[in-house]
Amino acid sequence: MIGMLAAAFRRGVFSIGILAIFVLFVGPVAILVLTSVRPASGAYYIWRGTAFTLHNFVDVMQQSQVVKAMFNSFVLSSLATIFSLGITVGSGYMLSRFSGWIQRSWFATIYIFRTVPYISWVLPLYLVNTRLGIYDTYIGLLLPHIAVHVCFFSWLMKGFFDGINPSMEHAALIDGCTRWGAFYRVALPSAMPGIAALAILCWLSTWNEFLFALILTGQRTPMITSTMAQFVTETGTEWNLMSATAVIAMLPALLVTIFGQKYVIRGLRM
Amino acid sequence: MTEVILRDVAKKYGQLSVVHGVSLTIPDGEFVVLVGPSGCGKSTTLRMIAGLESISSGTISIGGKIVNDLPPKDRDIAMVFQNYALYQQMTVYDNLAFGLRNRKVPEDEIRKEVARATQMLGLEPLLTRKPFQLSGGQQQRVAFGRCIVRHPQVFLFDEPLSNLDAKLRAQMRLEIKSLRERVPTTSVYVTHDQVEAMTLGDRVVVMKDGWIQQVGTPLEIYNQPANRFVASFIGSPAMNFIDVDLVEEQGRLRAKARDFSIRISDQTAALLRNCKATSVTLGVRPESIHLGSPPADIDTAFTGDVAVTEQLGAELVVGVNAAGATIMASRIAPDTPIAVHENVSMWMNPKSLHFFDAKTEAALR
Repeated sequence: MIGMLAAAFRRGVFSIGILAIFVLFVGPVAILVLTSVRPASGAYYIWRGTAFTLHNFVDVMQQSQVVKAMFNSFVLSSLATIFSLGITVGSGYMLSRFSGWIQRSWFATIYIFRTVPYISWVLPLYLVNTRLGIYDTYIGLLLPHIAVHVCFFSWLMKGFFDGINPSMEHAALIDGCTRWGAFYRVALPSAMPGIAALAILCWLSTWNEFLFALILTGQRTPMITSTMAQFVTETGTEWNLMSATAVIAMLPALLVTIFGQKYVIRGLRM
Repeated sequence: MTEVILRDVAKKYGQLSVVHGVSLTIPDGEFVVLVGPSGCGKSTTLRMIAGLESISSGTISIGGKIVNDLPPKDRDIAMVFQNYALYQQMTVYDNLAFGLRNRKVPEDEIRKEVARATQMLGLEPLLTRKPFQLSGGQQQRVAFGRCIVRHPQVFLFDEPLSNLDAKLRAQMRLEIKSLRERVPTTSVYVTHDQVEAMTLGDRVVVMKDGWIQQVGTPLEIYNQPANRFVASFIGSPAMNFIDVDLVEEQGRLRAKARDFSIRISDQTAALLRNCKATSVTLGVRPESIHLGSPPADIDTAFTGDVAVTEQLGAELVVGVNAAGATIMASRIAPDTPIAVHENVSMWMNPKSLHFFDAKTEAALR
């Protein structure tokens, strides 16, 4: 009798847990998707009414600013990923394999920048960008993104290389490779799962990034995240359009996550 | 002719000195084993020969050419690592071919060399596999193959058998031995395992704390250890050490400790008198201690209580409390009835006694 009660209690706790996770994670997305298919008048009453429409999607896709922002975000995410990984792989390898004052200083630098609150970078960056005349340009957004990625992902990359036994590179050195050759032909291919995982994380973090996009870009180089925020206007918030844009913006991230999940898991397990 | 010569080779990390002036000449075709406990500098020495560690002072020459400043790839060496160090993303064939491709050897020739090595090592069925699909023994065999295909001037082995289980280790030891008959290349082999050192080495170099303790053939090292460390490191069970006083009695020299007094043979006595030592350490190997009473003309008997017995099937090892130590005796017939705490008499073979200076620990001879 007590056993049955205990089992029922355990089931109850488990169900509440599931419900909490659902409300916290699935709930907002469900509301978002639901809002995106309701007419403007129905946005505040998504649980009531039976009017559904795909017009919101047509509407936002006809706004050139949204399309441009999607394109910009895509290009910027891809560029940031390529450049960040180029630097991060080198930086992680250096931190893992060599030691000396250069490595220690570099390590200290990225450590300090990691601990500084993200938002405290943004305002100075705005001043720097306007001063350099790169405000509201690709390069003005690309450089800060690369900097952030290098600081955050060099550690992960170092971990990947730490997991690869250096004697493999030593064998390559003896087998006729130069130090560079040993890195390029032996260490790098072994780190590939880790690099693939980082590429996905990198891409997603730029795609989803909001603060830099908001402060460092304007009308010329809109990003998808900051464009979404512009549906909040003086006359009210166009929830239906904002939700439709958000759903569209979720798709590439969703695709990358679904198809890249296996690499991320394999890579982070390295 | 590939001679490897180390002259006063030393390694320092900042202030910390890990190898102090190692000098060693390895003639063409010789198989030398560097053996010692962890941290004795044997691996560092090997890595300096390989070029994976810089040399702080001294010179290393391979085949008459000083290689101090040559990168590993230009030293014409091949190395087997403890953890195999196979290229994980390549197949066995590509692993074997990697070094040759780096040297721009034509593909036909590579195929021939790989075939020769795989046949020698029985790797043919594994050529298309990746390293993670192989067992430890197979991986190490591929690592040997990677060395053989290149026909290097020197083979270097860095504890190649340490990662294998005991049974496989014994089997691979024999394989290295037979491989060595077929490929008589100058080799330097590092191990902490005295059995590998004794069985594989033409000569054995015993190291401790960055110093060479002794260089010699396995039998020289075993029979004439240069100091107490070498004597204790080589041999299993380890040599017994008893602190004794040398006392003249009726013109004979005797080694005495508490409840322990044995006569030293005249020949040895003459040597010890020459050294003028009075307080020495007597070393005697377990197999030189026998149960029972000695023949009439031998005066090395002692008695003691049995502290421990180890039945190994082929022999019985007995530890006896005597002379203030537990003296181990091996090669006792396994069916000998011996109980712990029993008082037994034993004797030592007077020809197999070693004496070491109590302070410097150097062998007195």
